Amino acid sequence: MKRILVLIIIGLAPYFVFAQNNDQVQNIRQNNISLSGKVFDAKFKTPLNGAVIHIKGTTHQVVTNNKGEFYFLTGQKLPVTYEINYVGYQSREIYATTSNIQIALTENASNLNDVVVVGYGTQRRKDVTGSVASVPKENLNQVSSSFDNLLQGAVAGVTVTQSSAQPGSTASIRIRGGNSLSFGNDPLYVIDGFIYYNDNSLTNLSPAAGTAVTGTSTNALSTINPSDIESIDVLKDASATAIYGSRGANGVVIVTTKKGTKGTSNISYSTSFGTQDVTKKVGILNGPQWASYFDDLYSATPSIQAGLASAKKVVDTLGAIGTSGDWVGAAIRTGSTQNHQLSIYGGDEKSRYSISGNYFGQNGTLLGTDFNRFSARVNYERNVSNKIKVSTNIFGSNSVEDKLSGSAFNSINFANSFSSLYLNNPLQLIKNADGSFNTTYINSIVTSTYNTINGQVFADNPVYDIASTINQSKITRVLANFAVEYKILDDLIFKTTFGADILNTDLNFYAPSYTAAGNNSGTITGSGSVGVINSQSWLNENILTWDHTFKINHFLNVLGGYTTQYQKVKNTFVAGQSFPSDATTYNDMWAASANKVIGSGESQQTRNSWLGRASYSYNHLYNFTITGRFDGSSVLGANNKWGFFPSAGFSWNASQEKFLKKYDKTVSNLKLRITAGSVGNSNIPAYSSLATLNPYSVYLGNPLTGLSGLAPSQPENSNLTWETTTQYDAGVDAGFLKNRINLTADVYYKKTSNLLVSGSGLVPLSSGYTTVSENIGTLENKGLELTLSTENIKTKEFSWKSTILYSTNANKVLSLGPSKSFQPIAPTGQVSPVIVEVGLPVSTFWGYKTAGLLTAADISSGTPLLTGVSQQVGDRKYLHAAGISGAAITTTDKQNLGSAQPKFTASFSNTFNYKNFDFSFLFQGSFGNKIFNLLEQQLEKTTTTANVSAALLDRFDAVKNPNGKFPKVTNAPVMQVQDTYIEDGSYIRLKNITLGYNFPIGISKKILAKQIRLYVSAQNLLTITKYTGQDPEVNYYDQNNLQQGIDLGVYPNAKTFLAGLNITF
Amino acid sequence: MKNRIIISAIIVTGLSIFTSCNKLTESPQGTLTTGNYYKTQADAISAVTAVYSTLSTDINNDFPIYGRNLNLLIDNTSDNQVYSPSNTNPDVRALGTATYVSTNDRVHKIYAQHYWGINAANIAIDEIPTIPSAQFVNPAHSAANLIREARFIRALYYFNLVRMYGNVPLVIHSASNLAQASKLVSRTPKDSVYAQIIADLDSATLLPATYTGADVGRVTSGAAHALLGKVYVTLRDWPDAVTELRKAITPVTVSGGTALAGNGTYGYDLFPNFNSIFLPGSKNGIEHIFSAQFNGSVGGFTSTNTLSSFTWSNAAYTADIPADSSIVVKLFTVSDQRRTATFYDSLNNASTSSKVIWPFFNFLKFVDQSGGFTSTLSNQGANAKVNFPIIRYADVLLLYAEALNELYGGPTAEAYAAANLVRARAYVNPAAYIFKTNNYSSYNYTGSGNYSNHNADLSGLSQLQFRDSVFTERRREFIQESQRWFDLVRRAPDAEYSGPGSYYLISVHAMLGNPKSAAALKDTLFPIPQTEINLYGTENANFQQNPGW
Repeated sequence: MKRILVLIIIGLAPYFVFAQNNDQVQNIRQNNISLSGKVFDAKFKTPLNGAVIHIKGTTHQVVTNNKGEFYFLTGQKLPVTYEINYVGYQSREIYATTSNIQIALTENASNLNDVVVVGYGTQRRKDVTGSVASVPKENLNQVSSSFDNLLQGAVAGVTVTQSSAQPGSTASIRIRGGNSLSFGNDPLYVIDGFIYYNDNSLTNLSPAAGTAVTGTSTNALSTINPSDIESIDVLKDASATAIYGSRGANGVVIVTTKKGTKGTSNISYSTSFGTQDVTKKVGILNGPQWASYFDDLYSATPSIQAGLASAKKVVDTLGAIGTSGDWVGAAIRTGSTQNHQLSIYGGDEKSRYSISGNYFGQNGTLLGTDFNRFSARVNYERNVSNKIKVSTNIFGSNSVEDKLSGSAFNSINFANSFSSLYLNNPLQLIKNADGSFNTTYINSIVTSTYNTINGQVFADNPVYDIASTINQSKITRVLANFAVEYKILDDLIFKTTFGADILNTDLNFYAPSYTAAGNNSGTITGSGSVGVINSQSWLNENILTWDHTFKINHFLNVLGGYTTQYQKVKNTFVAGQSFPSDATTYNDMWAASANKVIGSGESQQTRNSWLGRASYSYNHLYNFTITGRFDGSSVLGANNKWGFFPSAGFSWNASQEKFLKKYDKTVSNLKLRITAGSVGNSNIPAYSSLATLNPYSVYLGNPLTGLSGLAPSQPENSNLTWETTTQYDAGVDAGFLKNRINLTADVYYKKTSNLLVSGSGLVPLSSGYTTVSENIGTLENKGLELTLSTENIKTKEFSWKSTILYSTNANKVLSLGPSKSFQPIAPTGQVSPVIVEVGLPVSTFWGYKTAGLLTAADISSGTPLLTGVSQQVGDRKYLHAAGISGAAITTTDKQNLGSAQPKFTASFSNTFNYKNFDFSFLFQGSFGNKIFNLLEQQLEKTTTTANVSAALLDRFDAVKNPNGKFPKVTNAPVMQVQDTYIEDGSYIRLKNITLGYNFPIGISKKILAKQIRLYVSAQNLLTITKYTGQDPEVNYYDQNNLQQGIDLGVYPNAKTFLAGLNITF
Repeated sequence: MKNRIIISAIIVTGLSIFTSCNKLTESPQGTLTTGNYYKTQADAISAVTAVYSTLSTDINNDFPIYGRNLNLLIDNTSDNQVYSPSNTNPDVRALGTATYVSTNDRVHKIYAQHYWGINAANIAIDEIPTIPSAQFVNPAHSAANLIREARFIRALYYFNLVRMYGNVPLVIHSASNLAQASKLVSRTPKDSVYAQIIADLDSATLLPATYTGADVGRVTSGAAHALLGKVYVTLRDWPDAVTELRKAITPVTVSGGTALAGNGTYGYDLFPNFNSIFLPGSKNGIEHIFSAQFNGSVGGFTSTNTLSSFTWSNAAYTADIPADSSIVVKLFTVSDQRRTATFYDSLNNASTSSKVIWPFFNFLKFVDQSGGFTSTLSNQGANAKVNFPIIRYADVLLLYAEALNELYGGPTAEAYAAANLVRARAYVNPAAYIFKTNNYSSYNYTGSGNYSNHNADLSGLSQLQFRDSVFTERRREFIQESQRWFDLVRRAPDAEYSGPGSYYLISVHAMLGNPKSAAALKDTLFPIPQTEINLYGTENANFQQNPGW
């Protein structure tokens, strides 16, 4: 009995089959006594409650009660064949000739007999040749706004980095490293058979399209309800992904949603509530510290000082100023989450159904940010006849994300106004005495000194801005497919599927006239924009599968088919400024009287494919898989529309060989795999190969009138083709001590050729084109993945399982065509901190090495000085790159400062079960990656208005602090990319910790429930890192492959505490 | 069973045919391609509009060529300017200290921007002739004239390039595909580049003399003559220079009796008020021969002259500052109206009626004064709609004076008259001078060559003295107008500045505090951007870096 509960707690299946046969027990006298029996665990002899017993060849089936007993009411006579199914146990067929039969079920101790989801079908895990991993159920049970976050620390070789902790924002997901420089590196998603590539452009408009909508990208994956997901399988190597051909290079994530099972009828409700608190803020100066800093800066600015009759010291008159404002603190609150899921599922002999509705809500830890999603799903399947099965999956959701908006600050476009909270003058008041937000410089000292010079009276109030600016993404999504399966012969099945994915995004932005963005220093009154993106994708797949067994032990599975997918994306955009009233916000764009912008665009993509796969297994001992896909894609150049992607795999179940079988107590499973293949990446925007014309505007005439002209933005490239990744993988799956220890290890090598390089230095500038995209580069990824799962303790009442994942990936650019290196374009006024260079990993930081501060001795001994800036005692001392000498340090002295790519990532998860309790935790970490702390760089920039880093408390001052570690303040700061801002981003994080309790059946029954589970959980409870910024998991530039690991003060990460209840009736 | 297989085969085939209607050829509905464009007169006009756009916009929203970038190379490297403490880009600062290297991003950017503009012009020049002549129904924009406008702008860009970099690849046809774009074009000898410039400008001299309404601001034949004159001056071809400049000069009798022997029909003249050159209200006026048009960022078009952009809330210094007020500002006497039109150290805040005083001087020419100064000063200049004068009449007059002085071995009466006209406009009647405002009750120069106060007139100078005097006048006249470095490096060695590049070297080394002490002879040409050297290969005999770099 307890054994059962333990199983439930493990949560191997979120919906469980429970006895609903009370009537049968009470009516025992009327039962068919001959058709009865008992089902129990083969090892512990404990009864199994909820096992489904089906009489083969009939429609009759019953479920065991809590004593493991079953009785049939039918008039069926012995002998019969029972089919027994129980989740977590091996299914059995028993030919019964006697009554009251005793049936022992063996637990699925190993996954060997499991069925694995592979592209376009399933395979016995035993027979699989490729590298396929499933996300553990424990991970799927975590509460999250988006399922991609559940992949964190779940599968070896999968690295997840959230872009920001903004509710509903994106994450960058890499399976075995990034293969591409220019275009998508994210995996392909297959959601219930529907192929979807998660492209941010489907739910976000680039800032260039308008003036206002910025901020972190909205994640289209967050439209999917994670609670509906039954399983996530990750295809990693070419043998597994080649069936997706030109889209398989980045790996494939197959998401399968929950389906009903026959013989059940359940209603389940689950809910959770949580609170969230920001984990960390970075140190900045408080008011008095800033006043002192201001005075130092002031005296370092003789020209300003000279112009003023008497320089009052701000620090001397602090009394008049009052206390300082904690801008970050004022914008932070305790966030909350809630999740409600109602599911009804079940089925009978002919139909299976699953219907669910969900609400997920999150109030972010920053004012004005939240995420709400309503979703519903219907999965239905029916055997219309012996030959025909139809099924449909329909999913709809509506999610609303209110996010931070953009705000320009210090000539760098901070696309996230969060950083402006750090930078705001701490002497300014946040709120006036009456509680309203302050928007004037009211501090007399600052006004009388500094502002006499600059004449400015309007002060930005970022807290006010954050609280009052609307920046909303509303996504409505319907993802539906319909399939018909026709059994031509018993072993020959034809399946045709039609699917559609309709994704509509509304982007609404309004900055009221009293905000920085809506005021623009008094030039406008309000700024608004409205955008709509409409993405429609449909997919048709026609697959013929022949599954045949020859002479008992030759297993052959052949499939072939034709698929076609079409996607059209349309967007429209309106922006304007200066509204008569703030009251209508973005809803009355017509009223805008200034800077109106309108725009629209479209793109279409078509993919046609022929695909085939043959799997052959000799007695589950030697397994071969050959896969090929012939893909045609519209986005490619006219000369290269079609390509062929083959792969081959071989696996050997060595433990089944006679010579190893005698050791099966020790080595219970040993399988060797070796695969090779080539797959593609065609995540290229439509029209990339065409000589498209872009509009260029100019004013001419009297009065000046805006004219728009057209000129090519790119030369035609009819040879544009996919990036091809050739991948080799060798792996071993081993089980020891009756599979209590399981090890999976893989080594792989991937080489991407025809790499699309989109950068400068490829064609002469004299061609008129600065950057072009050309298939000329190569890069490689190689790595090792280990998964070690152990059942450390397994007794009747207590069990402990743990899993360790370790993966390493080394990435290197091998060639960039004619150029040796290039740097991505940086925002105006900034220098790109990263370089792409042959021989180095992508996203290598590139800057100066430093060695403390310049001393008087350095200056007199002629230490080389950085050109272009003033270099005196107390300034940063820069070093020459190796092999360079001379009196001047120039940009040629910039060098490799490390890469954003981790040396390895790892996770450690544990699950404990004791009686009705379960307890689990997951540690996850990244090691050896560097972060460019751009926020710190900006916070060390000394200006008379912005706040600075607390590090500057230790600034050099010849008198007050001659041993200071940070440069003396200067009125002319030039922020360099230098090693002091490149930090070690390694971390270990307690990602999740959960304690659950399952009520005993007796108690549950009192409220007619089959199962009640209560749990408490915490996420991000602990992070160990040397990184000085807010959080080491940071990726400001989102899906941009070249600018990973840059921290510009993104939405802060939060600790979450949750309590939840699952109840099944 | 057989039937079933046949049936299923039919189903599969049928569905495949049904779905293979999905064609793989792309036909964008929201984006035009070169293949389906350049068919009508409107397309031809649009192609040339795109060429104009390259003067005042940038493809990556960087500073446009004439919206600050050219200034960073031509003024920031000169003796008029140093980097401003507010410059955050180390590469901008390196230009101000003559410590830039071949990887300097501004050196790269200006090179790229010029070829971007040249490519836009090449496309127009290549494609417009393919449009059937019957399409050109509007005589205001004939195919020939549209091509001439594009050729003028192409010539302007090549003229800049050849002066900045020396030999540059001469590309006069657009690359229609990637293979053509990848072709490595050798550095073409300067003479050939100049020949192309002259041919292009010659063709542009057939353009209309003036425009009205919507076409104001387009290239005129006068602009072609004026620029051609400047090209000849740079080439030291004095006879041709004099001939061409005369075609742009309005024949007037200058006060004092000398007639300017111009035969220009354009009516060019100097504004009596120097400040009018830079006021949005007097755009494309009598002194403006050809300008880059800026109208701020209105209606979604980004057309901003960012030259004097400053955000006062963040830095006490503006984006670009005079080298050292004590030298550059003191070039001007207090009665020179250019002083107050070029610099400011105080402004009246209209909203508070209080004077905001700086303890140092800033550049004023490209600050947008059209809206007055109010409390919302913080972005003043960031959205400026001040046109950038690429060539204006004062330039023509001073080039003419210079050319005559060289052609005749000394200043002729006409040379004096041309130079004195520019000086007379600058120096107002001291009685009318009001301290630090641009409001003069009367101007010395009243138009059509007339002025009464001859105190500033030059006379009795040797050829060398006159040459010096003209170059100094050019310096005063064109501060921040992308002229000074060109003037510094083009002056040939003479008795006063002997040795190559010595006018440049002596001038920048004479700056107070010697901020450009690193300046050397190699700096009389900019380095070819390093990415280009890398691409062509350092061993490529036809594409070598400039000497010394």
